[in-house]
Amino acid sequence: MEKHRLRLDVEELLYTEADLLDQWKLQEWLTLYSDDAHYYVPPTDIPGDDADPNTDLFYICDDRRRMQERVIRLTKPGAHSEWPRSKTRHVVGNVRVAREPNLIRARASFAVWRSKDTTSDVFVGHYLYEIIELDGLMRIRKKTSVLDMEALRPHARISIIL
Amino acid sequence: MFNEMRIFADRERGRFLVPRRAFTDREVFEREYAAIFKRCWLYLGHASELPHPTSFLTRIVARRPILFTRDRDGDYHALLNSCPHRGAVVCRERRGKSPAFMCMYHGWTFGSDGHLMTLPGSAAYGPDFRSDPQKQMTRVPRMERFGDFFFINFSKDGEDLPAYLADSGDYLKLVSEHSESGMVVVGGTQEYAIRGNWKLLAENSFDGYHAKCTHSTYLEYLRNANGALGATALAGEGVDLHRGHAVIEYTAPWGRPIASWVPLWGEEGRAEIDAIYAALERRLGRDRAARLATKNRNMVIFPNLVINDIMAITIRTFYPTAPDHVLVNAWALAPAKESEWLRKYRLFNFTEFLGPGGFATPDDVEAIEKCQAGYATSDEVPFNDISKGMFGDGPPSFDDEMQMRAFWTEWDRRLAASEA
Repeated sequence: MEKHRLRLDVEELLYTEADLLDQWKLQEWLTLYSDDAHYYVPPTDIPGDDADPNTDLFYICDDRRRMQERVIRLTKPGAHSEWPRSKTRHVVGNVRVAREPNLIRARASFAVWRSKDTTSDVFVGHYLYEIIELDGLMRIRKKTSVLDMEALRPHARISIIL
Repeated sequence: MFNEMRIFADRERGRFLVPRRAFTDREVFEREYAAIFKRCWLYLGHASELPHPTSFLTRIVARRPILFTRDRDGDYHALLNSCPHRGAVVCRERRGKSPAFMCMYHGWTFGSDGHLMTLPGSAAYGPDFRSDPQKQMTRVPRMERFGDFFFINFSKDGEDLPAYLADSGDYLKLVSEHSESGMVVVGGTQEYAIRGNWKLLAENSFDGYHAKCTHSTYLEYLRNANGALGATALAGEGVDLHRGHAVIEYTAPWGRPIASWVPLWGEEGRAEIDAIYAALERRLGRDRAARLATKNRNMVIFPNLVINDIMAITIRTFYPTAPDHVLVNAWALAPAKESEWLRKYRLFNFTEFLGPGGFATPDDVEAIEKCQAGYATSDEVPFNDISKGMFGDGPPSFDDEMQMRAFWTEWDRRLAASEA
């Protein structure tokens, strides 16, 4: 029962995040993260769950400061790859949770579509979350978007937030 | 027919035009494979990617599956990764360690140098079957090494690698001199694809002219994050390295994990970067150390090897699958020995700008794909212009288009020679 309740709470957080991203409410999206948060997308040619951003070349390796800068950049017409903005849809499922001391770990499956101009691309993978509770609210401390793909093909850019 | 595809250069009027159908035409695409990718020296890999005897990796080079191995003695071999029996790809793993490779179809098994070791049912073949040269895995016709960079060539004849590299060789040396410990390819490959012609990516990789417009948000980010240091001017020159190779060498507002510390990395690393620079001066002398450490370099070795020594060092190579589609592989090159702190910030700095998730590469991809889309008008709007700097005095500026003219002149020469 306790565990089901926890999963529902985490699902609510993950669905909120997906919704904010799909609505391009990126400043609001940032508020779901703690001040010491990190956002990672590992490469696809080594095991993503174990890849280490300090020793392996990632696709995205953001600390909280760079997450903020990423959001600022994406609000500008000069972020050409996302201007005019693409349509995105984050579908999140298979959410699993585990409580550890001072930390909730969550895993979830995702499929994210990005459509723009004449193309529609899909990113498939799984999320690894570290979630903490601050003043009774869940905050994401780390999100790793592991692509279950052999390469970033047929497309070339993670210009949206996965 | 091919005459419509020739470049047009008028030095007196300062005009250099490239036909847009060179980016869209299916026949040009096939001719590029025959006249360029089959004849030029192509990058295969870096010695550090095969660290031990019996290490191997597989890679697609110019549409061909390649098995790159080291044998028990540590010698390197480049094999065409196709079974001499019925053709199946023999090694199906990306990388690993193995002294033998068994084809999954009928179990023929080959050594690191491609020789046929065993085959099931061998009694049913004649006595000299196993040693028949046609029953061994075929070697890539030529493989040569320049420092730790391995190149292959699918033609048996033609110039050797040092002659082919011309003046780009010294720049390959320079990028190998960052550390006396040697250089290594870091784990993790950026593998992506662009819906555009491969030559657009070659052009883009050393195009200094586009930085201020295409990458305005990145430059704004640097100013925002690094204050005054983020205001260092983009300035420098372009150098023709001959045989189609060229480089731009310039100062820039981003940090470099060798001698150009920026506040984003935190105070803790400042003394370390200063010490690296001091050691570099002792080892290479003042001038070469200053050049290596403070100048950025974007180099294209014709036709498709990019070595960019910028906010990090990347090796990038790419192959078209169609006139409007290219597969790209990119790696990070780093000193074999550096502190955990520096390796962390080197990779952090790499992803700031470079690659599909960086603050700049996605906008390059947008530019390339929009060019390709624009070429649908090439019946009515037939030419690209790359004339910038044809009228200048002195050396070309980093933001002129001399580099592209060098690339296209070589492209034109090779395709025209194959026509004759």
